[in-house]
Amino acid sequence: MTECLVLSRISHHFDGVCALNNIDLTVSQGERIALLGPSGAGKSTLLAILDRQLPLNKGTARILDKSLAKGDAFTRIDRANVGFIFQEFALLDRLSVYQNVMNGRLGRTRRWPSLWGQFDTRDHLVVASVLSDVGLSEFANRRADQLSGGQRQRVAIARCLAQEPKLILADEPVSNLDPTRAANLLALITARTHSDGTSVIFSSHQPDLARQFSDRVIGLRNGEILFDQPSSTVSQTDIAQLYDGAHIELDLRVVN
Amino acid sequence: MSRQLIWIFAGGVVVWAALSMDISADRLSLAIPRLGEFLGRMFPPDWSVWPEILKGMIETLRIAILGTFFSVLLSAGLAVLASQRLFPRLIWQPVRAFLAMIRAIPLIVIAMLMVASVGLGPLPGILAITIHATGMLAKFYAEAIDNVSEAPVSALASAGASRAQQLRWGIWPQMAPVILRDTIFRFELNLRESLVLGIVGAGGIGLYVQTYVRSFQYDKAAAVTLAIVALVLMSEFVAVIVQRKFS
Repeated sequence: MTECLVLSRISHHFDGVCALNNIDLTVSQGERIALLGPSGAGKSTLLAILDRQLPLNKGTARILDKSLAKGDAFTRIDRANVGFIFQEFALLDRLSVYQNVMNGRLGRTRRWPSLWGQFDTRDHLVVASVLSDVGLSEFANRRADQLSGGQRQRVAIARCLAQEPKLILADEPVSNLDPTRAANLLALITARTHSDGTSVIFSSHQPDLARQFSDRVIGLRNGEILFDQPSSTVSQTDIAQLYDGAHIELDLRVVN
Repeated sequence: MSRQLIWIFAGGVVVWAALSMDISADRLSLAIPRLGEFLGRMFPPDWSVWPEILKGMIETLRIAILGTFFSVLLSAGLAVLASQRLFPRLIWQPVRAFLAMIRAIPLIVIAMLMVASVGLGPLPGILAITIHATGMLAKFYAEAIDNVSEAPVSALASAGASRAQQLRWGIWPQMAPVILRDTIFRFELNLRESLVLGIVGAGGIGLYVQTYVRSFQYDKAAAVTLAIVALVLMSEFVAVIVQRKFS
């Protein structure tokens, strides 16, 4: 299998506080990875670095055969190839659902016509197709701020899919959703891994869903990888250890 | 102790202001009958001057429209420079200071300067409104730029959007309603403020108020004043409707 992502000894600090510490990780094309771990484990930081939202300060990373080091040039296509589903959706409230999803095409469509609202036939086809995938075709002309929370989340996913990414990163895409909806959305996000080899890395707080929709689970705590193993072999004990450790620490902090 | 000092100081300031001036109370007692006479001469308003009213109003409206138009153009450029998000402090701070300075000069003073430099008529009025309005509008526009929420913009950047694309599809949709609201608000102010421009010879309906008051034709002045009040109320009404539509 071809590698989609190779990370070696990645570290990241925020004002002296260590968020990630010596992370090594390799992800193959078409693989589905779940990041598990308590709040503050470094999941969001890791995903943000992989999407070039945060600079890579320490360590080396190759994503889709592009180096991620500071100062390395990257193109619009490089960023379009990595899709990111934002936890807070990050939609444009006053724009239609259709245009919000079309915004996902901005990295691939012709630059200047897009400024006048001119998009290619192919862009329109992709948008129509992903809108139907997430079940929002009939809401295409609705303003984004007139949707329910669940619908907004699906728009955010559709925008990411419209990018036709080769790697999808999702920061807690199903938090605050009931189990059925959460499962449906994860199914959407991971739907293309088998058909076209899209890789997916998502973070979650729901261990059962994480295992169900991933090939591998990575347990992250205090910026370090606690375990990295096939989803089928992740036991309740592993998960208890991952979260309980954090609880104990939290309690100690309260006592102090 | 400091609180008492503040009270004493405040009282002293008022006494100082009252002492040095010619504000004897007997002048006030004379004022009431005079005011009554003045109002009596205003009534009934003489509407025979309606052609002048119409002419003056149209000129005022044109001054306000063109003044707003040019100040929008100027403000668009200056707002980008005054944005804390787009430019370093070294640039936005002087630009903002410059705008504050413009705001501090009363419109009527700018209008007098303009009349002195380009002569009488609507042209100095348009220039004065343009300059005066830009001081406020550019600041408002800059705040609109700075208040754009970052998350949707970085979502577009993450999708590979260029800077121009982020501006068009991430920043502009957030700014547009604010800009529109500010512009309508400013236009209403411009209309209101340009009513007095005629007093210094900078065009518009103010000229007629001045002329009729100076020549003691109070009934005609009353007609013009009522027309002005009607125009202001109307513009306020329209502004409220338009703003409601774009909130």
